[in-house]
Amino acid sequence: MAQNPFPLGKDELLKAYRTMRTIREFEERLHVDFAKGDIPGFVHLYAGEEACATGIMMHLNDNDRIASTHRGHGHCIAKGVDVHAMMAEIYGRSTGACRGKGGSMHIADLSKGMMGANGILGAGAPLICGAALAAKVRGDRGVGITFVGDGASNQGTFLESLNLAAVWNLPVVFVVENNGYAESTAMEWAVSCDSYVDRATGFGMPGVTVDGTDFFAVYEAAGEIIRRARDGGGPALLECNMVRFYGHFEGDAQTYRAKGELEAIRASRDCLTILSERVIEAGVIGRDELQAIDREVNALIEDATRAAKAAPLPVPEDLLRDVYVAY
Amino acid sequence: MAPVVGIVANPVSARDIRRVVANATSLQIADRANILLRVLAALRACGVRDVLMMPENGGIRAHVERGLLRARGNGASRGEDIYPALHTVSMPVTGTVADTHRATAEMRRAGVSALVVLGGDGTHRAVAAECGTVPIAGISTGTNNAFPEHREPTITGLATGLAVTGRVPAHIAFSANKRIDVSLVNGANGATVTEMALVDVALVTERYIGARALWRTENFRELYVTFADPEVIGMSAIAGLLEPVGRDESGGLMVRLSPDGTCHKGITTLNAPIAPGMMARVGVTDWRRMPAGVAFVPEVAAGSVALDGERELSFTERDRLSLTLRDDAFRTVNVAAVMRHAGQNRLLTGTPVPVAAAF
Repeated sequence: MAQNPFPLGKDELLKAYRTMRTIREFEERLHVDFAKGDIPGFVHLYAGEEACATGIMMHLNDNDRIASTHRGHGHCIAKGVDVHAMMAEIYGRSTGACRGKGGSMHIADLSKGMMGANGILGAGAPLICGAALAAKVRGDRGVGITFVGDGASNQGTFLESLNLAAVWNLPVVFVVENNGYAESTAMEWAVSCDSYVDRATGFGMPGVTVDGTDFFAVYEAAGEIIRRARDGGGPALLECNMVRFYGHFEGDAQTYRAKGELEAIRASRDCLTILSERVIEAGVIGRDELQAIDREVNALIEDATRAAKAAPLPVPEDLLRDVYVAY
Repeated sequence: MAPVVGIVANPVSARDIRRVVANATSLQIADRANILLRVLAALRACGVRDVLMMPENGGIRAHVERGLLRARGNGASRGEDIYPALHTVSMPVTGTVADTHRATAEMRRAGVSALVVLGGDGTHRAVAAECGTVPIAGISTGTNNAFPEHREPTITGLATGLAVTGRVPAHIAFSANKRIDVSLVNGANGATVTEMALVDVALVTERYIGARALWRTENFRELYVTFADPEVIGMSAIAGLLEPVGRDESGGLMVRLSPDGTCHKGITTLNAPIAPGMMARVGVTDWRRMPAGVAFVPEVAAGSVALDGERELSFTERDRLSLTLRDDAFRTVNVAAVMRHAGQNRLLTGTPVPVAAAF
């Protein structure tokens, strides 16, 4: 095998690929099963955006907190939430991460530092400021990461949180996952100052834009930003330009896209293909090793789906259970 | 035919990791539009009535158009038009460097007399790759701005206007620039990639492109510069603080850097500004002049090629890399010379008012 030219060791590269492949497989399965009518509620798929969650989360530990969005499955998987518990939750089963009462948009696992997907747009940002303030007061070098889409970045909660984080010099990273569309409205029609870096600058913090389909670009930039926050350097904003392979929600006909747009981005901007081609070309990882992971991940998702479907639904008595939680 | 000036304004320059690892500037979109309005006013004052602009979705053009509308609203009452008409190249927008390449080529074909460029070294490099003999007037709105000179954009606009309207002789108005051509032959399949740099080519040991910027000096190995200027930021500063080489001299400088960036016997340690606000110690093994037209084959066996401060290509032991400096590769507007000529020849002075003989 050739000398490894990448900033991660082979085991870490395999872990990154496995995480990204798990997210992709998870979402592809939901895409199929949702269309069958097997899944209650709504699902918003992260397929196409895997490099962003994975490149960032590789720098975090369970003590670090993240606050996610309505499109949260990728963040959960990359942060280490159990795939079986996630699938059961999405199927509304009592074995789910939130005992089947949250569904896709409320998956949380505090033991992993995952404060929850969130059905309210822009609601993760204030939550993460609280978590980051706690980490700062405790002095445990924990950091908080919040994700927001290009659309939800226009919410007052997000802008207020930028201000709060800057004023209190909190260890927060605001990640703008810019997939170009707020539901169906193109970013250039909806974001007033045109650049997220400009927004960060306006609040007195640095902002950085990276190609969110390039795992190494996200990994390297996120590493520097997270290290800075951990060392007391304060908040920053990271804009990841990325693409989503499916609609805003499952069932979205995507009539707002140009003809051939989806085919083009799937062909040229698939972050999984970009990563795998790079590591194979460099001679660090063999195609057979990646294919072995693909098979394992496929079996994992198959098993998680089977287990979720077989698991019991919550019973009426569960309705008032876990409403209040003591920390 | 009245001269038309082309404009390439990059909305995505000055956005990389050097805002975090250093204290690089984040010039806002509204400021870039403001700069452009100043340039447009100066061009119009020199008689340029039409400009052709690269389309982008980053917001610059929208802000400029708003500025033009407001000015026309004000100016209409005075019967004045203080800006040229703004036309846009008809092409799809991808939001990548391909837009700069394509827009520049289209403008060259459309016969523009000069190209005003807003961006850093990377944007200017993209324009220089396609501009042919059309002169560039550069305005620094990037991170490391070694190539475009720092100057009030109104003056750059004035000089460009005076140059393209023929009021300053071409031998004064325009100057020649150097570049370094990079050739990378893939050892596996024989495919050749050619690239170029306007200021510097740095060979570093990192073999991934990642966040592109250069700041880990321990990975620097070899450096090739077209000009070595102690007054700029980045790789050119390293060379410039060893042996200055001017933009108007033939040839450049090649610098070999110490493998671990530390000080050993026979190694010179240099404290250099490698990014805005970022001083770093680099170990220098030796340096020598890089004559024009001579192909240099680097010693570094594998790593990345950084062009004008950004990692662009990676190469392995199998590949063949060579670098050749070219004199007189493309032209720029010599703003200082134009403005000096304008002052000496009263180019912006009106006809003197007659003076009565009797006081």
